[in-house]
Amino acid sequence: MSMTALFGKDSGTVRAQQNRELLLLTGFLVVIWAVTTVLSPRFLSPANLSDILLQAAPLGFVVIGQMIVIIVRGLDLSVASIMATVAVLSIGLNDNTVVIFAVGILLGALIGGINGYLVAYRGVTPFLATLATMIVLQGVRFAYTGGAPGGTLPETFRWLATGDLFGIPVALMLLAIVAFAAHWLLEYTVYGRRLKLYGDNPEAAYMTGAPTRLLVVSAFMISGVLAGLAGLVLVGYVGIVDNWTGRGYELDSIAAAVIGGAALSGGKGSVPGVLLATLVLVSLFNIVVILGLSIELQLVIKGSLILLAAAVYMRRSRR
Amino acid sequence: MDDVIRMTRTQPVHLVVLALIGLVVLVGMYSSDRFATPLNFANVQDQMVALALVALAQTIVILSGGIDLSYAGALGLLTVVFASIAGEDPASFAAAIAIVLSLGVFIGAINGSIVTFVGIHPLIVTLGTSTILSGLALLITRQPTGSVPLFFEDLVYGRIGMIPYGTIFTLMLYLLAGFLLWKTRLGLRIYAIGDNEQAASISGVPVKSTKLIVYALSGLLAAVTAIYICGRFGVGDPRAGVGFDLKSITPVIVGGTLLAGGRGGVLGTLLAVIVLALLANVLNFMNVSSFYQWIAEGLIIIAAVSIFVGRKSK
Repeated sequence: MSMTALFGKDSGTVRAQQNRELLLLTGFLVVIWAVTTVLSPRFLSPANLSDILLQAAPLGFVVIGQMIVIIVRGLDLSVASIMATVAVLSIGLNDNTVVIFAVGILLGALIGGINGYLVAYRGVTPFLATLATMIVLQGVRFAYTGGAPGGTLPETFRWLATGDLFGIPVALMLLAIVAFAAHWLLEYTVYGRRLKLYGDNPEAAYMTGAPTRLLVVSAFMISGVLAGLAGLVLVGYVGIVDNWTGRGYELDSIAAAVIGGAALSGGKGSVPGVLLATLVLVSLFNIVVILGLSIELQLVIKGSLILLAAAVYMRRSRR
Repeated sequence: MDDVIRMTRTQPVHLVVLALIGLVVLVGMYSSDRFATPLNFANVQDQMVALALVALAQTIVILSGGIDLSYAGALGLLTVVFASIAGEDPASFAAAIAIVLSLGVFIGAINGSIVTFVGIHPLIVTLGTSTILSGLALLITRQPTGSVPLFFEDLVYGRIGMIPYGTIFTLMLYLLAGFLLWKTRLGLRIYAIGDNEQAASISGVPVKSTKLIVYALSGLLAAVTAIYICGRFGVGDPRAGVGFDLKSITPVIVGGTLLAGGRGGVLGTLLAVIVLALLANVLNFMNVSSFYQWIAEGLIIIAAVSIFVGRKSK
């Protein structure tokens, strides 16, 4: 067994490839922004740009979690269901912002832990484990609310999701903190290296003495916590608690992670990449609205983009 | 190969699912007098035909080691196209059937081509095409639209005794699929690819064309489902497919087909569809809200999968 097999790909090559992908995504973002600005000058207005960023924030949390799960060869279909369930339950239980966030984080960790347990200890395919959790959570929150969610949204919530501190949107600051933490974890710690090694080669990770099962559980827990946070931020942005909060985020987050360079076969993914991809996706949705195109076109564009991005990366990563 | 064929026919899974059917029927009879009536059984069958058809398509794809999440968008587009073309006269009805069946095969072939020739994971491919297809369906119409001829509705609602024609049709398709999977070379190839694609390729199985056929078949069955749905509801609805992507997977897995491919068969899927339909029916009789039915469904998936899979892993 070569060193490469044991320790993953040569980190220099990986980094160079990641940089090319980042450049490609940035170029793409610049092109679509430029084209849209020519077509509609309203696009580059500060109000619209801050709208894009605020909409990107909740999805950004989910995408980072989704990417970490994908790195360990997983997939989390339950993120949207976690978002809604955490929002409905924690806001229904209390109206103190701190308590709500504490309960939300704990709840997200618990649900993620269950996903991880099913995958790592019971050998259930991630797809099915998280599909089942998704359905169970759906039942739980509808049963809890009887179909109509209650609880009042504290004022601080609106501020967290749409307000700003020293001119910088609070939701973006939260996302930045999470993003830096996740980036540091992935790139500069033993834990991050082990996550990627496990995704590259589970047997090799096991042989280095890494607690592989706990690694997988922890990845799902991170995804659960970030989804819970995203649910709370999104509820603050929208202004109401809804049983279907976050609907569609499971597929959007997978799309953004893949477009951002995470490989479904595991072992690959970077925070800057998936955040750029998130921005691309949200920009595209915004462009459709700004240009006054039919909303349905969003779906066509999104689907085509997913296929295109996947095709570009597949061609490159073929050995 | 003997092993493959044995796994296809009878498995302990089938007995477990049969026992579950018995249990659900007993609970149903205990909970309501109206449960064990011909009318109710016919009703359950009507509820289950569409799911049974999509699950059959999904079984074939999963056996080959793939997955097809495009039904959500595909069913929407196919029903809209069908109901907009099928007028009152037999000629346009026949044209609508021909067009929708070809469109289904075309959609499947596109999925299959991207999966085989570009090499993208089928999950991502079909997720992408599903999104595009539902966008197209909604571009055509946002509301349910079109109509189907009366004689077709009569056919879909027709019954022999307590057996709807839809059930007979579905059973015939399952038999046909069973024959295809167990008795033909194509079927053997599907199992071989699902079991181990590289080994199959080395031993001379034409992997690419087989995969292409699998996805085209899946699209064809999606078109058949769409036509049936139009017959039942009388209109084409761009949202007709919502939920069918994930719903189609549950019976396949509960019926004992491995998500990794190569193991399982259509009999298990059919039995699982029956269990799920009966369960929903009984829970309705017991006045259990759909909220708790969701919880039950999720727990059943977890139980089914972790029991079967847990036993296999070392």
